[in-house]
Amino acid sequence: MNEILHNPEEVKTLLPRFKLFYFVLAATFFVFSGRLWFLQVYQGQTLRQFSERNHLKELKVEAPRGLILDREGRALVDNRLGYEVYLQSQYIQDWEATFATVAPLINMPPDKLEQRVTKARRQQGRFAAIKIKENLTIDEVFRLKRARLTVPGLDIRDTTVRNYTLGKNGSQALGYVGEISRTQLPLFRKLYPRINFEQGDIVGKFGIEELLEAELHGHNGVKLTQVDAFGREVNPTGTAQASQETQQLFGSYIKDRAAIPGNNVVLTLDMDIQQAAWDSFIADERIGGVVAMKADGEILSWISSPSFDPNDFLGGISHETWNRLINDPFKPLRNKVIQDHFAPGSTLKPMVALAALQENVIKPNTSVFCPPALPFGNRLFHDHLRGGFGNINLYEALERSSNVYFYKLGISLGVDRMHKYIAPMGIGTKTGIELPREAPGLMPSTEWKRLSRGEDWHPGENLSVAIGQGFTQATPLQLAISYLAIGTEGKVVQPFLIKKVLSPTGELIKETQPKVVRDLSDTSKGEPLINPEHYKPIKEGLRLVVNGPRGTARGRVRLDGVEIAGKTGTAQVRGWAASEIFGKCENRPKHMRHHGWFVGYAPADKPEIVVAALAEHSCSGSGGAGPVVRAIMKKYFEKYHPEMNVSVPVAAYVDRATPSEPEPVEE
Amino acid sequence: MPPLVAQLDTDDRSGILRKLEWPYIYALFAITLISLINLYSATHGVNMSGVADLFVKQSIYFVVAWGLFFFFTFLGPHWLGRLAVPLYTLNVLAVVYVSFFGKVALGAQRWIHLGFFNYQPSETMKLCLIFILAKILSQTPYDPKGLNLKALMLPLSAIALPFIFIVEQPDLGTSLLLLMIAGTMLLAIGIRRWIIFAVFTLGLVTIPIAWQFVLHDYQKQRVYTFISPGSDPKGSGYNSIQSKIAVGSGQLLGKGFQQGTQSKLEFLPERHTDFVFSVLSEEHGFVGSLGVVILFCVLFILGLRTASTAKDKFSAFICVGILGYLFWHMFVNIGMVTGLLPIVGVPLPLFSYGGSSLFTTMSALGILSGIAYRRYMF
Repeated sequence: MNEILHNPEEVKTLLPRFKLFYFVLAATFFVFSGRLWFLQVYQGQTLRQFSERNHLKELKVEAPRGLILDREGRALVDNRLGYEVYLQSQYIQDWEATFATVAPLINMPPDKLEQRVTKARRQQGRFAAIKIKENLTIDEVFRLKRARLTVPGLDIRDTTVRNYTLGKNGSQALGYVGEISRTQLPLFRKLYPRINFEQGDIVGKFGIEELLEAELHGHNGVKLTQVDAFGREVNPTGTAQASQETQQLFGSYIKDRAAIPGNNVVLTLDMDIQQAAWDSFIADERIGGVVAMKADGEILSWISSPSFDPNDFLGGISHETWNRLINDPFKPLRNKVIQDHFAPGSTLKPMVALAALQENVIKPNTSVFCPPALPFGNRLFHDHLRGGFGNINLYEALERSSNVYFYKLGISLGVDRMHKYIAPMGIGTKTGIELPREAPGLMPSTEWKRLSRGEDWHPGENLSVAIGQGFTQATPLQLAISYLAIGTEGKVVQPFLIKKVLSPTGELIKETQPKVVRDLSDTSKGEPLINPEHYKPIKEGLRLVVNGPRGTARGRVRLDGVEIAGKTGTAQVRGWAASEIFGKCENRPKHMRHHGWFVGYAPADKPEIVVAALAEHSCSGSGGAGPVVRAIMKKYFEKYHPEMNVSVPVAAYVDRATPSEPEPVEE
Repeated sequence: MPPLVAQLDTDDRSGILRKLEWPYIYALFAITLISLINLYSATHGVNMSGVADLFVKQSIYFVVAWGLFFFFTFLGPHWLGRLAVPLYTLNVLAVVYVSFFGKVALGAQRWIHLGFFNYQPSETMKLCLIFILAKILSQTPYDPKGLNLKALMLPLSAIALPFIFIVEQPDLGTSLLLLMIAGTMLLAIGIRRWIIFAVFTLGLVTIPIAWQFVLHDYQKQRVYTFISPGSDPKGSGYNSIQSKIAVGSGQLLGKGFQQGTQSKLEFLPERHTDFVFSVLSEEHGFVGSLGVVILFCVLFILGLRTASTAKDKFSAFICVGILGYLFWHMFVNIGMVTGLLPIVGVPLPLFSYGGSSLFTTMSALGILSGIAYRRYMF
């Protein structure tokens, strides 16, 4: 045998060095067991959490938004089933072909689709499902479902979509929704700490939707899904085999949280009246605002025109539609019931008259001579009837809307005595309605002019104020409130739109109680501001405007079955030259025509409903705004008092001798 | 020289069985079972249909590998003494060949394509180096003070020749392992203290120079990543971080067989090869992974005992070389998956998937077992 073999004695010389090997082995054992102990026992809990966070992804389950209902529980805004389409990146092999096939199906240029997908993949990762279009039409859904057979990775998902059942009608009050923006997110979180706002949430952006965000917004739920390292969902909806395996493997970690829907809101609006008001208002392409209110302050209808369709805002409004809305000269996005204030024109006259009666400037039957024009200072103040009215009393002055009569009252009263009575009726103060961005209007006074303009009151301005021109400004809602105060002989009410808030299961959470803000006839602190007996002649005058033989609104507003009382008014858009004063308003360019007002309540003796209508650029109060008020009143009494048998008079009496009244003030 | 088989014929069957080192075989068998169970989990997952058949393959490999184990057990170590030089020469030639004509993969030339599988000469080089070093060292006269420089010339040249070419490939991992294995064998025979000290010092001096001029960018990156894995958790630090999460999330008892989310859902890279130990740690926890470390230690202790009782220096050096081979692979791999060492592509012997690695390891352990078997023979 080889001499290197079989010599165990030689091996013994190596043994001392083996001690080193045993030592290294022991050291290694201790280092490894120490390290394993450190990672698995000491840090185990933390690293376990890391591993859970790795593979469990929280998917948001969007809570349905609360419904917005009318006073009878009919849906003004609800949620309908919608569809959106996703591309599941993990199943797509040929992106170019996918773009080319899918783009035409959803009416999108292929390069735009590609851009969107590229951006989404960059932001969300290579394997995320990319939403390529939401709010699909039924046609698109069918086309995509057919294409799904040949295009892998097309995923059509159900969602809920906000649905505005009235379309354009009332959208300024109801508002619209949209995805929460990056800048809104932190603000909303601060504003409503109880709600967990997340990116991609739908929130109210306008109107009631915006105002009641805290009520309507539900609490999103969570669905835990399992994802792999590439973000691919490995969830139980996969193949049956995978489902069983994952359930078995990870079942204990999947704990979902259901979404809680938002609260439902019951408004004071009446869908029937709202619809009637809208139909009649837009029949002649009117521009402006209309509000109908019950005597306790509940708003029955709220119209602002031109309008927009909140359904267009779903899934992001198109640039084209948005540009059309913001460039429209008549401003569809403005809530004209409270946001636009204009000179109330002749609709202010009954309030001036009330001030004059209370201040004892006139008696109702005092005959006042009214020439065609009244010189004051170095100016001439015209009436709208070329020949003048001659000797008229208060009733006639209101019925026929004489300017000179009220110029004379204005001169006698002075602005501060008008302000004393008219401001408490609601003109020039915000009504406090729930909706935001309310315009204050203006009831001037000498003090106001001194403070705001640093000028003394000009006596000539008393004449303008007395016929609701000059500085005076009012919103339709303010006029509705002040007319209701006249009709109810002193009660200034708090208007409101939100009647109740109900939980998703129907329990009452909040309810608004009607409130009288001021009672002008209140005697508890001595003499009332306005003696209740003074309302009688004013109310009679207003009744004559609609029902009197020469009433300015007789032809357009009168109803059989119920007596409406009210007043027409015209607000000048701009001053006209003397030569133009009696020219035909209708011949002017639309944006330069007068605004027409009509404010009325019914029944004339004991009002249940008041309606204020502003028809911008309609030239006349009776023609522009009057018919709308009549339509609303008709609908109201048909619905709530069928026993009255209200109807539009068969042979509508039109008094051609009574012209519509452009009311020039200054030239 | 009598035929080796004749020796077997002279023993009766019960004698053969009695002479086998049974604790060693039991430990190895336990490792085999655990390894296969773990590999099943590592290759079966939600999205892993592509690698599921690897388990079947590896099971077959294990059967073959056990055949090789017993073949080498009964063959004995002495043929190695005769074949050491030609095996070494052929392997060095293969390494040189690879450096010039090898298959380029991942920026390095490591493989020779042999049709049915890719042969990596640097892997077998580790064993051939063990054989030639054992032969050289067993013929070196004993020096109680340790070998001097002159005596070291030959073994050092035998190490340097393949080392240089493997570094060039470049395969720093394998070349360093080669050094560690060879160093272990040199330590076994003993070296003068001043030489050890000098090598140590030289190493310290070389590191900055090597850093500047020898290391490739990806190699430097691995070191950076090791020092601060959190600096790029989704990029270069990803493997290290995910492996630590996998190991740690196993906690004391593990998530259970087939329930490791890190491996099943592919957060863990290279689950069935380099990071197979992380799969085990995740699913079987501290108890399971410590158990495997203990089993390895049992193998090493039994191996060292075999080395100490070997009948000649050649066998003893073969034992030390094979143990070094196994130990350093285990050390680097477990060190790497637990975050103690930088990530280098070193598989865990007996656990990582791969036929050639398994065959070499089991053959080497068979040789060791053969040495144990022969300690009773005279």
